[in-house]
Amino acid sequence: MTGLGVAGVVLQLLIVVALSPLLTGMMRQLRARMEGRAGAGVGQPWRDLRKLMRKRPIAPHGTTEVFRTAPLVLVATCLVVAAVAPFVTAASPLDPVADLFAVVALLTLGTVALALAGIDTGTAFGGMGASREATIIALVEPTLLVAIFALSVPVGSTNLGAIVTSTLHDPAQVFSPVSLLAAVALIVVIIAETGRLPVDNPSTHLELTMVHEAMILEYSGPDLAMVELASSMRLTVFLGLLANLFVPWGIATTGQPLLVAAAVLAFVAKVALLGALLAVGEVFLAKLRLFRVPELLAGSFVLGLLAVGASFFLA
Amino acid sequence: MNLVLAALWTAVGVGGLSAVAGLLTPGRFRPAAVGVSVTVSGAAALVAGVAAMTGQSAAVVLPDLLPLSGVLFTVDALGGVFLAITGGVAVAVGIYGIGYCRQHGLDGRGVQAVLPLFVTAMVLVPVAGSVGTLLLCWELMALTSLLLVIAEHQGRPAVAQAGRWYAVMTHLGMVAILIGLLVFAANAVDGSFPALREAAGGLSPTVAGLIFVATGIGFGSKAGIVPLHAWLPRAHPEAPSNVSALMSAAMVNLGVYGIIRVGFDLLGGAADGAATWWWLLVLTLGAASAIYGILQAAIGTNLKRLLGYSTTENMGLVLVGVGAAGMFATSGDLPLAGLAMAAALLHLVNHAAFKTLLFQSAGSALAATGRRDLDDLGGLRAGMPGTTAAFGLGALAASALPPGAAFVSEWLLLQALIHGLPTAGTSAAIVMPLAVAAVALTAGLAVATFVKAFGIGFLARPRSPEAARAAESPASMLTGMGLAAAACVGLALLPTLVLPTIGAVAGATVGATDPLQIDGMTIRLVGVAGSLSPLMLTITLVIGLAATLAGVRAQATRRAARAARLWDCGAGPLSARMEYTATSFAEPLQRVFDDVLRAEQDVDVTHHEESSYLVQTIEYRRRVPDRIERRLYEPVLTAMAAWGRAGRRLAPGSVHRYLGYGFYALCGLLILLVVTR
Amino acid sequence: MGAGHMSEQLYGQLLDIAAGALLLTAVLILWRRELAAIITVFALQGIALAVLVGLIAVEEGSAELGLVAVGVLVLRAGVLPGLLRRALAGAGATRRETRPLVNVVSSLLAAAGLTLLAYAVSQPLVALDPAPAAHAVPVAMAVVLIGFFVLVTRRLALSQLVGFLLMDNGITAVGFLTTAGIGVVVELGISLDVLLVVLVLQILKTRIREAFGDTDIDDLRELHD
Repeated sequence: MTGLGVAGVVLQLLIVVALSPLLTGMMRQLRARMEGRAGAGVGQPWRDLRKLMRKRPIAPHGTTEVFRTAPLVLVATCLVVAAVAPFVTAASPLDPVADLFAVVALLTLGTVALALAGIDTGTAFGGMGASREATIIALVEPTLLVAIFALSVPVGSTNLGAIVTSTLHDPAQVFSPVSLLAAVALIVVIIAETGRLPVDNPSTHLELTMVHEAMILEYSGPDLAMVELASSMRLTVFLGLLANLFVPWGIATTGQPLLVAAAVLAFVAKVALLGALLAVGEVFLAKLRLFRVPELLAGSFVLGLLAVGASFFLA
Repeated sequence: MNLVLAALWTAVGVGGLSAVAGLLTPGRFRPAAVGVSVTVSGAAALVAGVAAMTGQSAAVVLPDLLPLSGVLFTVDALGGVFLAITGGVAVAVGIYGIGYCRQHGLDGRGVQAVLPLFVTAMVLVPVAGSVGTLLLCWELMALTSLLLVIAEHQGRPAVAQAGRWYAVMTHLGMVAILIGLLVFAANAVDGSFPALREAAGGLSPTVAGLIFVATGIGFGSKAGIVPLHAWLPRAHPEAPSNVSALMSAAMVNLGVYGIIRVGFDLLGGAADGAATWWWLLVLTLGAASAIYGILQAAIGTNLKRLLGYSTTENMGLVLVGVGAAGMFATSGDLPLAGLAMAAALLHLVNHAAFKTLLFQSAGSALAATGRRDLDDLGGLRAGMPGTTAAFGLGALAASALPPGAAFVSEWLLLQALIHGLPTAGTSAAIVMPLAVAAVALTAGLAVATFVKAFGIGFLARPRSPEAARAAESPASMLTGMGLAAAACVGLALLPTLVLPTIGAVAGATVGATDPLQIDGMTIRLVGVAGSLSPLMLTITLVIGLAATLAGVRAQATRRAARAARLWDCGAGPLSARMEYTATSFAEPLQRVFDDVLRAEQDVDVTHHEESSYLVQTIEYRRRVPDRIERRLYEPVLTAMAAWGRAGRRLAPGSVHRYLGYGFYALCGLLILLVVTR
Repeated sequence: MGAGHMSEQLYGQLLDIAAGALLLTAVLILWRRELAAIITVFALQGIALAVLVGLIAVEEGSAELGLVAVGVLVLRAGVLPGLLRRALAGAGATRRETRPLVNVVSSLLAAAGLTLLAYAVSQPLVALDPAPAAHAVPVAMAVVLIGFFVLVTRRLALSQLVGFLLMDNGITAVGFLTTAGIGVVVELGISLDVLLVVLVLQILKTRIREAFGDTDIDDLRELHD
């Protein structure tokens, strides 16, 4: 429980909670500009959140506690992951929780809570969104775990801190085929898990094309604010993991305030860059049919499997 | 007389007395008497098992009970694990059964007397110390469970068919085990386990392989491993729910016990070079069962059948762990072997806890509504809050998500698999990633399955009038569920309490030292890098929840919530028919895996009498058959029926023909005797 | 080994005669067609069996075996043929085996073949014990096989019964010849068993005749799936 560790946790939580809506806003603004629109401004998501918080909560008929607590679970899981992941520092005081399998499972827990809430509404849209989300979760798991396997082989552990520290000490590791294949596989996984194009369109208004949005149709007011905040935080956390697992330079290894500030800036810059790339890519992609998504995920699974095979045969 | 022996005698004695009580007590008190004594017997078995796991052991010899070989009981650490599991399950199911049997009209003398005998037989199998004893207790367990499965056959005809399948398959398995163990015993001095261990070193690889495969077939069939799993999804829905809980949470484990006992303990000294393909076979079959089981569960709509297939899946995962342990042991990496075995044993314990809970709450829902299909349930939260909470807890545990119980065992299993890469050879390099992928696919599908089962079955609005009228179960059933739920929560938050003992047992089984080290709240792996703290994870999650709640309360408006209509596109209030059903929920998955599942669809259109352009009714039927049954069992059954028909021609009715068969057989034998002298 | 109360050679010859009589009566039963004659020959076989047992009793010097010999005489030469004759009296018109399943010539050839088989099978028994009693064992075995053959190939219920009783005579003979003394209890058991079978078959025969007319067994074809 070093000072660096505690400072890191606090800073990470602050950054993720405060800046993730700005990330979403930045991505939307970039897309708008590229599509020839004026855009709502980078701070719009925060304005939306503030507006939603002031609205009166609504409890739809026939829903149970599951519906009411799902947004809380979603936000809580994102907070836990933000606290343990190696964004600003690799020496987390919550090291026994900073296991890649545990982090991935926590994020899945959040999605499951939302899916249950979707079913709990009893509407066909909620059920449909939950059903599609469950299919995507089921098909993403193999790729995810195999990619984690590939990442852990050079290090000999799935502990997040250990992986980041090992890459820091051995920069050439990043350019090996193992890393590159695993990175591509993980990019596809992140797109599927965060519900971005081409797997799911986050800005669609047609219910039959929704996956994530369909599950949250009945939410309004503070609940909707929590759900929106949680999805921004998920995106930030996933992009942050992608960035720091493969390109960890800038992470603070000692407790000097200058290094910590530099680590914060580096993290924000990396996530912003990745978000911008994602937004630009989305402009040129259309949403895939639900039944084409398994093909995409199968392709990423093969890449992950090749990564593991490469880690053995090229070791 | 040490603690183990005393507790074991208590368990067996109380079990016997309970059976007598089941026969003699008058009707009103029968379920209570039997239920309480089953619980006491289970508690004694639990104590015996825990004491055995911590190092005490005992042996009992009863030479006169069985002619020729006598009866020999030996309690050691490995048997103690299974003893403890069975005892724990019996504790919860005993109390649950009091209310359940009363509600379902199962308080007849027959059922109530056989139930404690079933529990006692399951208690005795892990402590059998010789071939004869093992087979005796195994057969006793099979017969008592068969009697319990067909307990309700007078009400429903499907029960008789399920009983037939179960009887045939369990006895075919018994024959396979018999062959394997008798071949083994024939090469040894006598049938006792110490003699078998000594003889193992002198077995040729072919004979050892034959023994392993034969016993593996029998024990694997009992554990519900593909392709010999067909009895499981038939027997579990038709049996009473407390019996299903006992079978799924305690009986199938004994199949795994048999494989571990024969493979690691008895055949441990056999030629090691040949042994790798055994464990590869076990791992492959385990992975195949896991994926197939959860896939069938994901698209199934009968709640108890879904849970039965989930048992196949979990046993498959356990066998993946056992197979990996075997592969690591034969290639010399003993710490990893111990880790894989510890993961497998912990998963057995976790599975027993959450499967008991799931079957109990499913039974409670079924008893209250009378409907077995998920498509007819729903909306049970209002009428049955306790059952809903219990099923939710069980579903969380079963889907291997934190903070559930199975997350820890799956984490251990994955750690064992991913660290196995550098050490072993090319075969491991191909097998380990595929095994990890199989475990991952299973985990993903399990999440989908239990979201479906819990969400469609218990949340939202009721889909049938029976579901709308459902009332909460009696106190005994809730108490039983509460005990199982407490076990699930304990295993989820504090696995550090049971892991040292389980780790020690696992290490001893494969011949290594403790693979796990407990550091306060954290589980640390010995020999490889890895650590996890389930308690810390849960505490952090709870703190996060509290912080979020506090933040929202601080920021959000103070106005009270207003009830409103659901979004129905302005067309009017939604009916129950518009909700998503289990079939529709699983439809995308069924389409993705269509090559494996091959659903059959029937559309029947009935036209109006007056004009064939007008449609009166349309009937749509979709069935997803068990493809392994189609491909494997039906040809075998058809061939046997053809043989039977051909055999009929041997019996035309003439008495002289029948006498002649005997005569010719006798003469033929005598001629053979002369010729081959 | 009992004390030789007569010379080895005389004993052996008398034993062979008795065994030969057993075999001869068995073949005669195969040959003759009239039921009355068959029953008489069966009675004669009973006498031959009693003589065999008596010879062994004298050789062994055992009073118990002597009593058994008397019992065998009474039972197999007296009681059983008497019962059979009573059954024959109530049997009705059919007094002959007019159409056996295997004709007489083939039956006799089969009997010869079965005797050879019996000799071949009993070789180790004979080689084991060089006593004269052992030499008669193949003959007794042949009687068993011939009895089975009669059981299989005769149409009338009464003939089949005689075949069954023939088998039993042969088994008893083998028993007495191979062991020092089969014991009163076992002989008692076998005899009671035989009596029971005869009585049951009597009862059944009456019922069958009431239901189906005369007892041509081959006409009964109800015993199938």
